[in-house]
Amino acid sequence: MKLLGVSINHKTSPIEVREAFHLSRDEIIHFIPLLKERLFTQGIILSTCNRTEIFGLPKSNDVSCNDIIKHIISYKNSHGICADHFKKYFSRNAVKHILSVASGIDSLILGDSQILGQVKEAFQLSEDHNFSGTIMRKIIDTSIRVGKRAIHETELGKGAVTVSYAAVQIIEKIFTSLYTKNALIIGAGETGELAAIHLYDRGVENIFISNRTDERAELLAKKVSGKTVPFEDIKSRLYKFDIIVSATSSEEFILDFDNVKTAMKRRRHNPIVITDIAIPRDVDPKVKKLDNVFYNDIDSLHIIIDDNLRKRKLAIPIVEKIVHEEMSNLFAWYNTLEVVPTIKVIRDFFKKIEKDELEKIKHKVTEEDYHKIEEMTKRLLGRILHNPTIKLRKLAESGTHHEEINEDTMILKELFGLENRPKNGTPKNDDEELN
Amino acid sequence: MLPIIHILNYLLPFLYILTFYVYYYDFMHENSSFNNAKRIFLFVTLFIHLIYLLIRTAEFNHPPITTKFEIFTVLAFTISFSYFLLELLTDIRGTGLFIIIFSVVFQIISSFYIQDLLVVKEVLRNRLLGLHVISALLGYSGFTIAAVHGVLFLILYKDIKLSKFGLIFNRLPSLETLEKLNFYSVIIGFILLTFSIIIGVIWLPGAFPDFSYYDPKLIATSIIWLIFGIGIATKVIAKWYGKKVIIFSLVGFVLAILSLIIPNIFAKSFHSFY
Repeated sequence: MKLLGVSINHKTSPIEVREAFHLSRDEIIHFIPLLKERLFTQGIILSTCNRTEIFGLPKSNDVSCNDIIKHIISYKNSHGICADHFKKYFSRNAVKHILSVASGIDSLILGDSQILGQVKEAFQLSEDHNFSGTIMRKIIDTSIRVGKRAIHETELGKGAVTVSYAAVQIIEKIFTSLYTKNALIIGAGETGELAAIHLYDRGVENIFISNRTDERAELLAKKVSGKTVPFEDIKSRLYKFDIIVSATSSEEFILDFDNVKTAMKRRRHNPIVITDIAIPRDVDPKVKKLDNVFYNDIDSLHIIIDDNLRKRKLAIPIVEKIVHEEMSNLFAWYNTLEVVPTIKVIRDFFKKIEKDELEKIKHKVTEEDYHKIEEMTKRLLGRILHNPTIKLRKLAESGTHHEEINEDTMILKELFGLENRPKNGTPKNDDEELN
Repeated sequence: MLPIIHILNYLLPFLYILTFYVYYYDFMHENSSFNNAKRIFLFVTLFIHLIYLLIRTAEFNHPPITTKFEIFTVLAFTISFSYFLLELLTDIRGTGLFIIIFSVVFQIISSFYIQDLLVVKEVLRNRLLGLHVISALLGYSGFTIAAVHGVLFLILYKDIKLSKFGLIFNRLPSLETLEKLNFYSVIIGFILLTFSIIIGVIWLPGAFPDFSYYDPKLIATSIIWLIFGIGIATKVIAKWYGKKVIIFSLVGFVLAILSLIIPNIFAKSFHSFY
C-alpha cells in the first residue's frame, strides 16, 4: 500500500512547534485542494491541539514525505522550523500509526477518547471536499473500529486521568443524583472552567461561579448555564452548596475551618464535598476532620489519576494486539484488490455467454419455461464460478502468494481467451472499478 | 419425596456457595461477564430453595419453623430473597456478595443439622403461626440487609475521608445510594415486623394458654420495633442523614440479634419451642 504521511505531535516536538503547524478547519479546507493538485489522490488531515497528521495516497511514485513537509512548512509560512520535528511514515507503518492514533495509545493523555471523534471529523472533511476514496475510507473505518474496540474491550479509556475529572469521580462516589445538587466553583480560570464543564456534563444543574473579577465569573457561568456569586459573599452563602471546587491563585486560605464548621451547622450536617485544586491550597485541610465534610486536595486527586494511568498503561499491549488484528484484516482486504479485475472479467465473460444463449431460446419456449431456464443458468454459473473466485480471493488475502495468483489468473484468462490486463491491476486507485 | 428433600438439602449449600462466588468474582473484576448472569444464578438458587421449602412443608405437614435449623434455612432463603427483590427494584448490583454470605452460612449449618421431624407440637402446624414467623424472619432479613449496607457505608465513608481509593471505592455504589438502600431495607423490615407483631398479638393469645404480654421475647421485639420506628421518624421528620442514621440502624440490628438470642437462653417463655 503506497500510503505516505507525516506527523508532528507531543512525542516529536515541543508545544511551540505544534502550535506553529496547527491547522484550523478553514486552513484544512484550503489546504486540501493544494494537496490534491500536487501530491495525493486521496487523503486525510487531522489537526488537534497536540498533533497534526497529514496522510494520503501519492499521485505518483515521485511524491515523498519530504514533499508533504515542504508543503506544510510553506503553507504555514514556518520556514525557520526544522523538518526534523516531523516523523515520516510509509506503507504498513503509516497504517499502523493512523490506527494507533485513533486507538488513543498515541495520545498525550493516554486513552483520550476525544481523538476518535476528531478522526471522524477529519475524514468527514475529506469526504466533503472529494479528498476521500475507497482505500482511505477503508483505513479510516478500520481505525474507528480499532478506537471503539480499544474503548469497549480494554481498560484504556477507563477512570479519570485529569484533575478535574478525578474530582468529579469522587463527587459521584458521594452523591447519586447530581442534578439536585448545588455546586460552587471558586475561581474561573482554566482549571475551574474544566471542573465546571465536567460537572455540567455530569448533570449538575445548579452551578454557581465566584471569581474576584465578576466578568470572568459571568463568562463561565454563561458556558454552563449557571449563576454567579459575589466573591465577598462566598462565606455567608457556603451552607447552600453541596459541592465546592476551589481553584484560585490566592496565597491565603479562602475558606478556613470555622467557615466550613458554621456552614455545616446551618446545613444540618448534610454532606459537603470540597475539592481544592489550587496550589497553594484555598481551603484549610483541617476541615477534613468535620463529619460529612469530604475534602480532597490535588495530592489526593493524584492518587486516583496515578492509579488509573497505571491501569491504562497495562491495556497498551492489548490495544496493540487489536491494532495488529485489524491491520491484518485491512491488508487482507487490500490484497484481494489485485484479483478484483480478473474476477470481474471472468464473471462478465460468463454473463455474456449466458445472455447470448438465453436470447437464442427466448422465443422458442413459453415465458414460464424461459424464467425457469434463466434461473437455472444463473445457479449453474454461480456454482461454476464459486470455487475459482473463492480460491483467488483466499490466495490474495494471504498477501504472500503473488506468483501463484499471477499464474492462476493467466491460466484462467488464456483458457477462456480473455484480454490480458496488467497483472497487478490498476484498480487500487480506481474507485469506480472497485465499487 | 424424602430422597428429593435430602438431595436438595445437600445441594443448596453448593448453590449458595456458587452464587456467592459469582457475586465475588464480579465484584473483584470490573466489567466481568457475570455482571448480568449473576442475577440468574441467584434466581435459580432461590427457586430451588423455594421448592425445597414447599416440599418439606408438604411432606412433614408443618411449615419449616419447628427447629433452629429449619429456621436457619428459611432465614437463608429470606435474606437472599429480600436482597434479590432489592436488586431488581434498584438495579444496584455491587453489594450482593456481602449479603449472600449470610445465606451461605445459615444454609450450611442448616443442611448439616436439620432433621426430618414428623411429630411436632400441634400448634406448630398452624398456618397463621407460619405466617407470623416467616414475616418476622423477612423483617429481620430486612434489618440484616440494612446492617450490611450500613457497614459498607461506614467503610466507604472512612475510605473517602482517608483518600483511600481502592477496590471498595471503585466497586461500591455511592454513599447516598448505600444510605438509601439501608433506609429502604429498614422500612421493609419494619413493615414486615409490624405485620408479624399484629398477627402475633391477635392470634397467639388464643392459641397459647400460657400467653403473656410480659413475655420477654414479646417485650424485646417491641423494643426493637420502637427503635427502628424512632430511626425512621428521625430520618423522615428530622431529616437526619448519613452516619447518624446508619449507626442508629446498626444499633437496632445488634439489639435485634440479641433479642433473638437472650430471651431464649435466659427466660422461660411460651415462645420457646426448642
